[in-house]
Amino acid sequence: MRTLRLMGIGGALAYRALFNWTTPAMYTGTLLAGPTFQLLFFAYLGRQLQVADDRFFIVGNAVLAASTACVFGGTMAVANERRYGTLGHVLLSPRSRTVVFWGRVLPYAGNGLLIAAFTLLMGVLLLGLRIPASALPGLALALAAGSLACGFFGLTLGALGLRFRDVWVVSNVSAALLLLLTGVNVPRDGLPDWMITVGQLLPITHAAEAARLLAAGRGLDAAAPALGRELLVGAGYAVLAALLLKVFEAESRRRASLETL
Amino acid sequence: MESDYAIEAEGLRRTYRTRTGWLRPRRETVEAVRGIDLTVRRGELFGLLGPNGAGKTTTIKMLNTLLIPTAGTARIRGFDVVEQTREVRRRIGYVFGGDRGLYDRLSALDNLRYFAELYGVPPRDQRRRIAELLELVGLTGREQERVEGYSRGMRQRLHAPEVLFLDEPSIGVDPVAARELRRTVAGLAAGGTTVVLTTHYMAEADELCDRIAVISGGEIQALGTPAELRSRADGRRVVEVEAYGVPDTAISALRGLPGVRETSVEDRGALQLLTVQSDAHVDVQGDVLRELAGIRLGRVDSREPTLEDAYVAIVGAA
Repeated sequence: MRTLRLMGIGGALAYRALFNWTTPAMYTGTLLAGPTFQLLFFAYLGRQLQVADDRFFIVGNAVLAASTACVFGGTMAVANERRYGTLGHVLLSPRSRTVVFWGRVLPYAGNGLLIAAFTLLMGVLLLGLRIPASALPGLALALAAGSLACGFFGLTLGALGLRFRDVWVVSNVSAALLLLLTGVNVPRDGLPDWMITVGQLLPITHAAEAARLLAAGRGLDAAAPALGRELLVGAGYAVLAALLLKVFEAESRRRASLETL
Repeated sequence: MESDYAIEAEGLRRTYRTRTGWLRPRRETVEAVRGIDLTVRRGELFGLLGPNGAGKTTTIKMLNTLLIPTAGTARIRGFDVVEQTREVRRRIGYVFGGDRGLYDRLSALDNLRYFAELYGVPPRDQRRRIAELLELVGLTGREQERVEGYSRGMRQRLHAPEVLFLDEPSIGVDPVAARELRRTVAGLAAGGTTVVLTTHYMAEADELCDRIAVISGGEIQALGTPAELRSRADGRRVVEVEAYGVPDTAISALRGLPGVRETSVEDRGALQLLTVQSDAHVDVQGDVLRELAGIRLGRVDSREPTLEDAYVAIVGAA
C-alpha cells in the first residue's frame, strides 16, 4: 500500500515539482499547438510528395506527440533535481529508488496519452480523418503503451543525468531520432537496415504500427503483436533506467561523481 | 543493534581523484579527510568548525551515506554507513545551507508531503507531523504558498525539525531568522535529537554546541566544549585594528613582532579588520600601530580572546 502511495502521490507531486511545462501557456504552446502544427506540416508535405496518405501521418504524429512530454518529462524527473538542489534529499531517502522513479513516469505517461489523443482529434477535425468507433479503445491502448514506453525511455535518459551534466543534449538528439527512426513520418521500409533495427528498439515504433492497424479498422487481434512489442520495449527501458540509476548512484558514492546539493 | 552513541567514526578518510583534459589527462589526488575519529552522544549538539576546504562537508557526507569513505568506518546509531545505508537513512536528516533544497513550484505543504513520502513517514502520521512542523517554523497560514515566494530564511526553516546534519544552515539568513533558526535547533537538541552542525559563525557554535571539533587539513585539530576551546587562547591578548589599504608587507611585519602569536585579516568591503593575538604579558598595541604608520586607520581595540580567536589560533597552528 505504501509503495503504491509513493508511486501515485509521490509521482504526482514530483510531476508538479519537476515538469517545466505545467503553466497553461507552456503546456498549450509546447505540448498541444506544437505537435498539431507538426502534424499538419507532415500531412501536407506527404500530400505534396505523395509518400503516404493522411492516415499515415495523422496517426504517426499523434503517437509521436506524446514523446515530447514523455521523453523530456522523464529526463526532467531526474535532471531537474540538480536544478533545485534536491537530489541529495532523494538519494538520502530510505525508500526504493526504483519505486520513486518509476512512480514519476506514470503522470508523464498519462499526460502523453492526453496529448496524443488531442493531436489525433485535431487530425480528425482539421484533415477529416475517419476512424471507426470500434477502434477507439484499441487506439487508446496503443497511445497509452507508446506514452508509457516513451516515459521510461525518458527516465533512462534522465538516469544518464546522474553521470553526465549535459543530459539535455542527449534528449534533444533522441527526440530527433524518434522522428526519423520510428516510422511515424518516414515509412520504415525506405530506411537502411540498421536504421530499421535501431527503430525497433525505440519507443513508439510499434505503438505507431499498432495504431495505424487499428485506425484502418483491422481490429485489436491484428494490432496485438505490435502492441505487445511496444510494451516489451517500454519494460526494457524501465529495467534499464532502474539499473542505470542504481549503478550511477553507487558510483557517485564511490567516486564522488555527483554534485548532490 | 542500535548503539548508545549517535555517531561513531574511526579513522575516517576520503580521497578524491580528479582528472582534467582529454589528450594529456592530468590526474590529481586530494586527501579531503585524513583520519577522523569521533563519537557523538545521543542528544548532543556537536559542532564542526573549520575553514573552507577543511573537510567538514566531506565528513558529513560520509556520515550521512552520500559518500563512501576511502578508509575507516562510521556508524550511525550502530548501523554502518556503507553496508547498512537504509537503516542509517531511516534515522538521519540532512539540511544544507544556501538557497536550494526545496521544490520551488510546490507549496510548503506539498514540499513537506513529498519529503514525508520520500522518508517513509506513515500516512496516518503525516497530517499531524506536517501541521506540527508548520506551526513550529511559523508557516501556519502560509502553507499553500509556493516556496519560491518565501524568503531564504523561511525556506530553510522548513527543514529544521527533522534534522540531524546541518551543513551551514544559517548561511545567507537574516539575523532575525538566524536567531529563530538557532532557537529551533536548540529546541530539537533539547528534545533529544542529535545535531551535527557545521558553521562559520563562531557565536552560533559557541551558543549552541555542547562540543566542537575544529577541522583543518582534513584532520581534527581540537575537540572539546566551547569553554575548553576558548581556553586554548588563554594567556593571550587581542588587538583589533580597522584599517584601509594595508599592504601585505605590513601584515608580514606584524607577524614578526615580538610576542605576536597570530595575525589575521578580514576584508569588509574597503575596510580591513586586523586581528593580532599576542602573549597577554606583552603589550603589542604600540608596536602594531607603529608598523601601520601612514595607513588610514579606524577603530583600535584591545580585548580578551573569544572562541573565534581560539579557532584562529588552532587553525593557524595546524
